[in-house]
Amino acid sequence: MKARFLLLLCLLLCQQTLAATLRRGLGPEPDSFDIHQAQGLPAIQVLRDIREGLLTYDAGGHVVPGVAARWQVHDDGRTYLFELRHDARWSNGDPVVAGDFVRAWRRALSPGTLARTASLLLPVVNAGEAMKGKVDAGALGIRALGDDRLEIKLTSATPWFPEILAHPVSFPLHPGAADRPLEAPVNGPFMFDEISPHAMIRLKKNPYYHSAASVGLDAVEYFPVEDPNSELSRYRAGALAITETIPAGRHEWLSTYMGDELRVSPYVGSFWLGLNLKRPPFKGDVNLRRALSLAIDRRIIARLVLGAGELPAWSIVPPGMAGYRPQPFPGSEMEQQAREAEARKYYALSGHGEDKPLHVEIRYNTSSQHRKIALAVSSMWRQVLGVTSSLVNEEWKVFVNNRHQGAVTQVFRGGWIADYADPTSFLDLFRSDNELNTTFYDNRTYDRLLDQAALLGGELRMQRLEKAERLLLADMPVIPLFFYVSRHMVKPWVTGFEPNIRDIHLSRYLGVNKTKQ
Amino acid sequence: MHGSGLLRFSLQRLLWVLPTLWMLITIAFFLMRVAPGGPFDAEKTLLPEIQANLNSKYHLDESLPRQYVRYLGQVARLDFGPSFQYKDWTVNQLIAQAFPVSLTVGSLAMALAFLAGTMLGIAAALRQNSVLDYSLMGVAMLGISIPNFVIAPLLILLLAVYAGWLPAGGWDWGFAAMVLPVVTLALPVTAYIARLTRASMIEVLHSHFIRTARAKGLPERKVIFTHALKPALLPVVSFMGPATAGLISGSVVIERVFSIPGLGSYFVQGALNRDYTLVMGVVIFYGTLIILLNFLVDLVHAWLNPKIRYDDQR
Repeated sequence: MKARFLLLLCLLLCQQTLAATLRRGLGPEPDSFDIHQAQGLPAIQVLRDIREGLLTYDAGGHVVPGVAARWQVHDDGRTYLFELRHDARWSNGDPVVAGDFVRAWRRALSPGTLARTASLLLPVVNAGEAMKGKVDAGALGIRALGDDRLEIKLTSATPWFPEILAHPVSFPLHPGAADRPLEAPVNGPFMFDEISPHAMIRLKKNPYYHSAASVGLDAVEYFPVEDPNSELSRYRAGALAITETIPAGRHEWLSTYMGDELRVSPYVGSFWLGLNLKRPPFKGDVNLRRALSLAIDRRIIARLVLGAGELPAWSIVPPGMAGYRPQPFPGSEMEQQAREAEARKYYALSGHGEDKPLHVEIRYNTSSQHRKIALAVSSMWRQVLGVTSSLVNEEWKVFVNNRHQGAVTQVFRGGWIADYADPTSFLDLFRSDNELNTTFYDNRTYDRLLDQAALLGGELRMQRLEKAERLLLADMPVIPLFFYVSRHMVKPWVTGFEPNIRDIHLSRYLGVNKTKQ
Repeated sequence: MHGSGLLRFSLQRLLWVLPTLWMLITIAFFLMRVAPGGPFDAEKTLLPEIQANLNSKYHLDESLPRQYVRYLGQVARLDFGPSFQYKDWTVNQLIAQAFPVSLTVGSLAMALAFLAGTMLGIAAALRQNSVLDYSLMGVAMLGISIPNFVIAPLLILLLAVYAGWLPAGGWDWGFAAMVLPVVTLALPVTAYIARLTRASMIEVLHSHFIRTARAKGLPERKVIFTHALKPALLPVVSFMGPATAGLISGSVVIERVFSIPGLGSYFVQGALNRDYTLVMGVVIFYGTLIILLNFLVDLVHAWLNPKIRYDDQR
């Protein structure tokens, strides 16, 4: 009797110690778990853990096969033929078939769904027309050739398209419960176990996942925490094993006292100061724009104002894009003294000086980091050129609205984090017809260069894009400042957390090393 | 006379509830729309077709007065609409999930503040001008002046990060997770109630009827708790209305610092996201709550102090 009791106790304890659960901070509360409504990074992060598309990412952030076993590209990059894995299953045991992708894409691009990230699928034939309701969903360029073969047709060769196939908007959907994302079957390494909105999202291992044997965790608990300071407190108290970010201004302290747990890594993001080319003083005055750009000491900003390992930026496209050579603008090679002399030269050329002083408004959204950057830039401009500036701090929505309208902006905080790791993700922003072009830069030669690059492939395409960026930087509609980094606190007993430029750390590669805990 | 006086009093007060609520809804509705920026403004703008379809789905393309009338109709059916930001949920669902949490934290804090505050205040009043009195009132002053967004992180650091006695945040309906938020939320209110109780108690203890009671030879305990307490608590009860409002607004900070899934966080995040429906829903909910609570306070006040009822009837 006693022996049986002891055995039971033993088993229970063993069960406890064998259940490997990882607790991760998530940032703001996810906006939706519907793959066609999720817009914010928190929701997309959870979706990547519970669902899988044709392609997925490895621990280092490189695109690798997911549901697709192999694929071929035909027709000069316009047709993709996918062969699906035969062991890909939904969490209720049903096999994942090509029809699941077709159904999901038709839903994504039908006008009634109002899919927020549907623009990522625009390269697909008839995608734009389907979204406007002009064609039937059946005309969409995706076709199931049997249960395990999928054909996708694009309007033109899109070299970065494979990465879209790893984004939740392109994931498959099970025929049942498509409109109830919290209950529908999923096909990823994990599945929903328990959701307490704004408190915790608990995922448990999906036994039907094709590579379930390689998944080292039994459960993942995501904790949405709005305030980075609260997140750090909970990490230090042991309630979290990985944080989503670190509080502004704490980098130095953390790297001194908890340096081995702080993980900083370059990120596909670029920060710049946008200039409104539609209004004075920057309208038509490239000399002034160059002057202001050269007068800034980016090394001081990166090292002292930011201090988390951000890289000073002399160009728009961040490093790490395979096959693309960074294009630092002229002046990057000079010493700071020489750069400042050059800046004064351009300033004089633009007609400004003591008798015609310049005063600008630097606009930024509420954030202590942006304020510091604006202060540093403003004092550098005053010291080197005698330019005075007023700092305008606006709440996020107001800021975005003003920037979009372009009626009051002069100098404003700008930047971009890429949806996919291709230079066009950044360069397309400056097309004259792009809604997101808040500088209102309008250079048809630049547009033509991008159009030409879209028809080329490989090395030639990269060269054309590099030429486009050089032209862009010569016109200086924005002043590049630095490239982003991603920052996390990670407990030493977490395994598999590799630095990667996309900052995508799928839970399936992570593990918990109990011996180190 | 006692019963009907109270009934008339209650009905008179209740009559004001609906007009007040209506004014609240109207002001909140138009204020929210006046703020620049909308729910769909983001760094990565939506395709124009999607933007247009979204606007039409949520009736944002109609004129403002039409939207207002449509919204009033919805509220009359107790339908607060879908959330713009949290697309998987309706506002009714979000409030239904978050309210029990806020209610628990809020009422525990209120109960703690009332009990602790009155006890400390009475103790200080009974030992007027002693060391105990001065130290209690000194601590109370600190509690009122130091904002809770300073005290909260400090307590987290000391008790959660360094000592590890309590969790640093989060909510699982367990006792440990409730301690710090409830205590931090209750602190300023406790301090205020303590000072209020002390002052009021001292005044009552000097009044004539207390002197009479003592002269009659009643034991001190009976004098204090049976005769002095009820009138002494009058100002404290009046304060409960504003105290509740203070707790509700204080909860916004507490909920953010401790990551508690309550209504307070919807207030702030909803406003920042321009989630019109969510913010309106929370405003109406809180507004109704405060109005009803104030009504209850008035009732208790009238019950405690018969003079109020009779004054009203004249």
